[in-house]
Parts: sequence; C-alpha cells; structure tokens
Amino acid sequence: MLWQILTPDLFAAAVRLSTPIALAAMGAAVCERSGVVNIALEGLMLVSAFFGTVVAIFTHNTWLGVFGGVFAAMAFSALHAWASINLRADQIVSGTAINLLALGVTGFLMEAIFGHPGTTDPVPTIPPVFNFPMGGPGVLGTTWTWINTIVFSYTPIVYFSMFFAVFMTWAMFRTRWGLRLRALGEHPRAADTVGINVLRGRWIAVLISGAMAGLAGANLALEQVGGFTENMTNGRGFIALAAMIFGRWIPGFGFLASLLFGFADALQIKLQIFSNVIKIPPQFFLMLPYVLTVVVLAGVVGKAVAPAADGKPYKSKG
Amino acid sequence: MSDGFDTPLSPNPLNNVPALRAPGQGRDVPPPAGDSADKDFAMQRERMQRVIKAITPFISIVIAVLVSSVFIVATGGNPIAAFQALLYGAFGTPRAIGETLLRTTPLIFTGLALAYGFRSGVFNIGAEGQLYMGGLAAAYFGITFGGLSTFIAIPLIIIAAAAAGAAWAFIPALMKVRIGANEVITTMMFTYIGKYVVSWLVTGPLADNSGIPQSAQLPPSSSMPRLSAIIPFLGTGRAHLGIVVAVLFAVVIWAVLKYTTLGYEARAVGYNPFASQAGGISVGSTIIKSLCISGALAGVAGAVEVMGVYGRLFDNFSNNFGFTGIAVALLAKNNPLGVIAAALLFGALDAGAGTMQLEAGVSQKVINIIQAVIIFTIAAETIVTWSIEKFSARKGVGA
Repeated sequence: MLWQILTPDLFAAAVRLSTPIALAAMGAAVCERSGVVNIALEGLMLVSAFFGTVVAIFTHNTWLGVFGGVFAAMAFSALHAWASINLRADQIVSGTAINLLALGVTGFLMEAIFGHPGTTDPVPTIPPVFNFPMGGPGVLGTTWTWINTIVFSYTPIVYFSMFFAVFMTWAMFRTRWGLRLRALGEHPRAADTVGINVLRGRWIAVLISGAMAGLAGANLALEQVGGFTENMTNGRGFIALAAMIFGRWIPGFGFLASLLFGFADALQIKLQIFSNVIKIPPQFFLMLPYVLTVVVLAGVVGKAVAPAADGKPYKSKG
Repeated sequence: MSDGFDTPLSPNPLNNVPALRAPGQGRDVPPPAGDSADKDFAMQRERMQRVIKAITPFISIVIAVLVSSVFIVATGGNPIAAFQALLYGAFGTPRAIGETLLRTTPLIFTGLALAYGFRSGVFNIGAEGQLYMGGLAAAYFGITFGGLSTFIAIPLIIIAAAAAGAAWAFIPALMKVRIGANEVITTMMFTYIGKYVVSWLVTGPLADNSGIPQSAQLPPSSSMPRLSAIIPFLGTGRAHLGIVVAVLFAVVIWAVLKYTTLGYEARAVGYNPFASQAGGISVGSTIIKSLCISGALAGVAGAVEVMGVYGRLFDNFSNNFGFTGIAVALLAKNNPLGVIAAALLFGALDAGAGTMQLEAGVSQKVINIIQAVIIFTIAAETIVTWSIEKFSARKGVGA
C-alpha cells in the first residue's frame, strides 16, 4: 500500500499545495525583516483570490485576473502599512482588522456581484507551462513519468515561487538592498542615522509582502480551484506565518518549510482515499497540517529569534 | 523615551516577539512636571488626551457606519433604510430585544477572554477553539449530570467548560513561555484542531444516531432557564439566564484585575514584562495563568451556547463569537465592565443583521466590515487623536 501512496502525483501535489503557503511566507519574511509583522496574510490572500476571480470573470482573461488579485492585495497591504508604519498602530491588531475586513468585503461583494453567498462562477484555470506526454521511451518509461510529474507539471506561479525563493534569498543576504532591509528590522535607529529612509523601506517591504500574498491568492483561485469560495484560504495565511518562523525569516528556508506543510496536506488528501482501509476518521487527516505546525513550532524551531525590532513602530527623533 | 529597540534585548525569545501590548495601554505617559506653567499645560493636555481616549470608541463606531454606508451605496443599497432595519431587528420588538440579549451573552464571555489576555500582554486569537472545547465539555457533562438538579448541574457544567477552555489554552501558553512560540499562531492552530475534534466527536463517539452530525439533546435539568421566566416582557424569546451569569463574570473579572494580586501581576506583565521581572513577578507563570483564564472564559462562552441556545453540540455551532470577542475587547478598551456595553453593541448588530438583509436587501456581511473598521480605527487610534488635535489646535482649544 505504501507504493500506492508514495506516487509521483503525491509529490507533485505537495509542491502545488505548498505554493500559496510558500509565496505568502516568503513575502512575510521580507516584511518582518523590515520590522513589520504581517498577520494579515490570510486576509490578503482572500482578497486577491476574490478580486482575481472577479477580474478574470469580467475580462474573460485569467492573467488579468492574476494582476487584479495582486493589485487588490497590495491595496489592502497599503492599509496595513499606513496604520502600522505611519500611524504606529499595533501591528497585530491592524493585521487582525484586515483579516476581518477581507472576510467582510469579499463576502459582501460576493453577494452584491453574484447575488448569492458561497462560490463564484467557475473561471478557466491557468494551464501548466509544459505539457509533455506522459509515456516515455522504453526503459526510461517510469523514470520519465517521475521526472515529468515532479519537474514539468506545474503552472506559472508555482515556477515563479521557486524562482523567487532563490532570488529573494540572494537579494536579502547578498545585495545592498538586503543589508538595508535587515538593518530596518534589527536596528532602525542605526539605519536612520546612516541615512536610510526607515518608513519608505518598511513601506516597500509591506507592499512586497502584499504582492506575494496576492500571488498566493491568485495561485489558489486561478491556478488550483478556478473560482472563489468564501473563506477559501482556510488558515493557510497562519500556516504561512508558521512556515516563515520555521524558516527562520529566510525566504529560501521558508519555501522548504512550506513544502513540508504542502506534503502534509497532500498526504492528508491521499490518505482519505484509503480511509476504508485504514480505519481512521477523516477529521484526523484534516487536522494534520495544523498539528504539524504546532509540533514544528514546539519541537524544531526552538531557539528561532525574530528580527530585534520586529513589531515595533519607529518614530524618527529628527 | 524608549522606542522599544533602546530597551536591552532579552536572551529570552519570548521578550523579542512582536509587541503584544493592546492598543491604548502603556502609552501617553504624562509628561514630567516642570515649572507651574509647564505643569498647567501638561495637566490640560493630559485631561484633553483622556477625553479623546474616552470618545475614541464612539468615533470608531461613527467611522464604521460611514465606511459601511459607502459599501451599501456603492452596491445600490440605501444605508438609512439598512440601519433602520438593523435597529428594528435588534430592539424593535420584545422578541428582538431577547434575541439581542441572546447574542450578547457569549460575546461578553469572549470579550472578557480577549480583554483579560490583552491586559496581560497576550493575544488569545484562538478563543474560538477554546469556545469549542467549552461547548464540548458542556455537552458531555450536561448529558452526564442529567439527573442532578439545575442549581447544581449548571455551575458544575460551567466549571467543566472553563476547565476545558483553560486546558485548550494551556499548551499554547506553555509553548509561548518555554520556547517563545507566538500565541497568535499556536492558539489559531489549536482552533482548527479543536474544530476538527468536535466535528469528529459529533459524527462518531458523541453522535445521537440520527444521521445528522450532532450530539444528543441535553436534559432539561442541565439547560439554561429562559430569561422570560423572570421577565415576562420578553415573551417567547430565546434569551436565557446566561446573560445574568455573563454580567456577574464581567464584575468578577473587573474586581480580579483591580483588587487581586493575580490581576495586579497580569496587568504589570502586560504593561512592562521587563520591569515586572525585575520587580519579582514571574513573567512566565503569569502569562500561563492569564492565557488559561482567558481560555476558561472563552470555554464558558461555548457552554452557555450549548446549554442555553442549541441544547446540543454540533459542527460549527459558534457564530464566530471567538473572533468577534477581539472587536468587543478592543472597543471596550479592555475594561471588563466596558465589555458588557461593547458586547451589547455587537450582539445588536448580529441580531439585527438578518432583518437588515430581509427588509433592506443589504448583505449581513456588512456587519463584518463594521467590526473590522472599528478594530482598525481603534488600533490606529492616532488617526482619531491626530485629527482631533489638528482640529482643536486650529480652533485654539486645549492649548
């Protein structure tokens, strides 16, 4: 039975399911490195999924939907930036407000636009980038199926998240921009003293985080599901935060941590198919990713230390 | 003054987690007294700030109504008709008043849970999960205690529910203290886990074999008596005695915070963990106690729902009361007595939402927007403070 479970599909599904978590987690890493906590990820993803779907439906163009979703999430994250950077509001409370606002706005507009709660009309999903035939030549047969499924079966945003993991890790630790970004979150006063614009730097970081959460929502609605369902993010934003912490505020590690959650989710779905064989109630599989988050936070992370000024508003003395 | 990063960093990661102080706490320290002219000015300014603080919640409500009106107008609705229907649905008839009280009851408990947490510097965003555990305990013990008299059964069930809620908050509390895991994430994860636990129990071990995922009905002796038994005015409404229990709890929590060592330590840790540690308070154990008390209060919210409203346990029985509790606590400025008023407002919004949708055709979801805007403006209360100060400076008031 093990080989019925550990199929290439399982691993490909793990990558696909981890993508929204990874994107949001990597964006949050940028955000928190600059000293702003962003627990609004859940709401930002939801907003993007909704507006992405709406734009896709009205323009009959799923790609425009992706842009619409990212733009909407950035607009909401600008609200968070304004409150937590300029008005020095409590960042966690502001983030909570945005999560609630996202739930309200998407639910309200859902009924206003589509006339009913629940689910929007379906939109065509973005197809995979490569579309190779499954069968391989002779001996290579099984190997090719594995490679094809695990390497070449994904949609564009999934590949983008892989690229972003490498690029952002490099940018954060090997460029001047990255050094400055980290300075903002570790010691904003020092950064200010040497002439770095703290508020602008944090704004940019929050907007990047918003754009990434927006891509995460677009991936969910326009690549995976093909439409919007109320509260479709279902805690992924919070799992992304856990993945970011697990990844020690390093984008690449956050990506790998997300893969773990994606794998738990994929396994959970797969195991449900076998629920008549293994007599375990489905709820136990459903809670697997959340239990994993707690276990990971409790056991593995241990000594993770957040950027020193994370969550602390900055007020220039000048 | 300290901006946070001037404070020496503690090796304990717990102290490096994001600011968990509730808004409005630990700010606006009165300026040091100088000579008498300075002192007069300082006092006037302080008085002015106190007035602004007191009216911020009301301004938040006004802003929330305006923002939601924009949404209603933008979608072709009539905000005046909508809010009229909302008010009628909340207070227009004795039955409506009863319904408002019914929805206020759990919100007082969850509001208290969040307020107590905020006061001690913890953000129990997972009150919803603890509420489910409380509901679960109430259903289990309600059926078990069926043979007892109501006066014995109900207190016992409330204690059991409180214990269940506290237990569900204990692990996140321990994780926060021992390894610095942010309670916002852990309590949230426990909410999802708790929901699935309840979902499993009502389909399996606790199912009433009706084919519907729900537990058996609680016996009458362990159900909350109707409020109309005492106040005939409320007629056939569903409001129950839980509201009286809730108000009692609010007074007790208020007294605990104000007069007991437990409450003093909680407030001290919420205000400044470094100073508390230096002053000999064990920050860790205080945080654990506070999160457990917060969880216990949320657990009782679940119990009153099960005992008073549904009489049984089922999937998703909570109307997001755990999350609305955040808004309630913030609006009440974390004052346990203020929680009663804030819960009444949100209870009324909740009760009137259905009427609003029926009579004015405006989606109930607008209530979520109102709540979010209230939280947002209170979080960013400098919006209000700043605009009032600008306004009054122009008028020459206050300075």
